[in-house]
Amino acid sequence: MVSQPTTISRAAEIVRISRIFDFLLLVPILLVIIGTYHLSMILTVGDWDFWLDWKDRQWWPIVTPLMGITFPAAIQYGLWKHLRLPIGATVCTVCLLLGMAITRWFAYHLWTNYPINLVLPATLIPGALLLDFVLLTSRSFFVTAILGGMLFGAVFYPANWAIFAPFHQPVEYNSSLMTLADVSGYSYIRPGVPEYLRIIERGVLRTYDTYATPLSAFCAAVLAVPLYGLWSYIGKLFSTTRFIDKF
Amino acid sequence: MNILTKRIIKFGIFALLLFSPELFAHGERALEPFIRMRTIQWYDIQWSKNTVDVNQEIVLSGRFHVAEDWPNAVVKPDSAFLNLAIPTPVLVRTATYINGAIVNNSMALKLGGDYDFKLVLKGRVPGRYHIHPMMNLRDIGVIVGPGMWIDVQGAAADFKNPVTTLAGETVDLETYGTANGIMWHLVWLAIAAIWLLWWIRRPLFIPRHKQTLAGDEDALITSLDRKVGGFGIIGTLMLITASFVQADQKYPESIPLQTGRTEIEPLPMKHDVVVKTKRATYRVVQRSLQLTMEVTNKSDKPVELGELNSATLRFFNPTLQRFDSNYPKELAVEKGLDVQPNSPIAPGTTTTLTINATDVAWHNQKLASITKDTDSNFGAMLFFYDNAGERYLASITAPVIPDFGTN
Ligand SMILES: [Cu+2]
Repeated sequence: MVSQPTTISRAAEIVRISRIFDFLLLVPILLVIIGTYHLSMILTVGDWDFWLDWKDRQWWPIVTPLMGITFPAAIQYGLWKHLRLPIGATVCTVCLLLGMAITRWFAYHLWTNYPINLVLPATLIPGALLLDFVLLTSRSFFVTAILGGMLFGAVFYPANWAIFAPFHQPVEYNSSLMTLADVSGYSYIRPGVPEYLRIIERGVLRTYDTYATPLSAFCAAVLAVPLYGLWSYIGKLFSTTRFIDKF
Repeated sequence: MNILTKRIIKFGIFALLLFSPELFAHGERALEPFIRMRTIQWYDIQWSKNTVDVNQEIVLSGRFHVAEDWPNAVVKPDSAFLNLAIPTPVLVRTATYINGAIVNNSMALKLGGDYDFKLVLKGRVPGRYHIHPMMNLRDIGVIVGPGMWIDVQGAAADFKNPVTTLAGETVDLETYGTANGIMWHLVWLAIAAIWLLWWIRRPLFIPRHKQTLAGDEDALITSLDRKVGGFGIIGTLMLITASFVQADQKYPESIPLQTGRTEIEPLPMKHDVVVKTKRATYRVVQRSLQLTMEVTNKSDKPVELGELNSATLRFFNPTLQRFDSNYPKELAVEKGLDVQPNSPIAPGTTTTLTINATDVAWHNQKLASITKDTDSNFGAMLFFYDNAGERYLASITAPVIPDFGTN
């Protein structure tokens, strides 16, 4: 009769400590993802994601999801394999958005005076949710690579259209045809980002004109599959305690 | 101060340097002298005023000559964009004219050509700023023109940037579409948050990992979880489709981003004064460039040399009294040009002139190091004037021989 409450309180204690440990671990993990994923996107996607007038219908919908699937695939592998948590991709893209929101607001808007609409980031969350949902329902990395990877690549453009469509309205500006996005990029002077750096519709895909966007989404969908495989393998290599065991 | 505080301060200073827009605005002396002297040669740079109110127009106009002797070490100017070296968009650009034509994009420049430009700007963020015209050249960098101080006055909150679409709607580019964009980000963020909370509310790392190690991982996923996943796929796809369709219906006339190159012919210029440089020396101790040259006057009036302009540094011949007092003091040497013989060159004749352009500004503007470049050819523009006040422009180049003053 004496020992029972002790057992209960000890069990409760363990649960409590385990829960504290959860959050002690969660916070640094999230900070690391915010820092590294955000940095990798800055280095690979860069101006495409910074500026409104770089988000073209041809390269932007290919480059962003292909560079964006890296961390979600790797973290998804680790969280599913070792913890059976189908949230890896969503965690990454939410962290990315937080990191972007902070830099766009402070560094681009408050510090360097660019209006927020000129530096609105794109969202990768819809594709990441699909990746996580597909993994949960299929319980297979293979199916997630094929189906989830394709969805991640394919939905990027349509999911972002609600954010960026308003800026694609035509304007007659100084007697030439521009979009509102082009006018904004022209108006707000960027000494380090000259107009000629924009990579808009060059190369083979250009020939397909009205199909440019669906074709880009299709390319992104197809290429996202092997990239998912590659990054989930990288996730496998790193989601191990091997490095820590040595200490 | 402990070590940590010191480190934070150090990092802060580093971050400041890294992001400081000032770096953009004062990169005028960054490139090597031979590039600054022999690519874009700025002249006649003028601001319509030096104080502007928020929302009020201000015009920067001027000309540039594209040097004939473009250095071999850098690529030809096939993609050039007329821009401003400005500490953040404190002014907005409303129009760019080159040789009278509207240019929104980049252009190719012709070697030896002269171009007249006009940038129409509007005050946006109050403050005092050093602003230069600037040319972005693809694969080279920026060639910065003379900088001047501009005061923007008023309240930043009053700034408006109205643009009218083809559909007739007038929008303010400062804020247009921002609320809609943030709203959609929040919608997706909320869905993601619900999804994460669905899992994070349960014990996370240790218990789940233990159960996975024990081979009982399937018990960690309930049948309700799987149903939620299935509905999640359908729901997400439906929301993506719905958001796409509503945007598509709301903006049926949307067009892709526009781009292109503008072709602009150089200004028609008559080059009636022809200059052949014979010898150029730079006397390091005196900070003086000495040139011997043959000048042929093909015009029908006598002409005199009034000015030498090298990489925006201007030396004036005091006898012609053409000193420009509005020009930045550090770039204008009022009595810096000595011309021998200092008398008009008669029409149809050829004369040998010896000139000395002397000032410490050669050193201050980091142009004196021309003699230490791999390509020690210097470049400059000479301005001759006839007695009717007409100007004749000659762009010159020559290898510079250093004179260290040791003999
Ligand atoms: Cu400056």
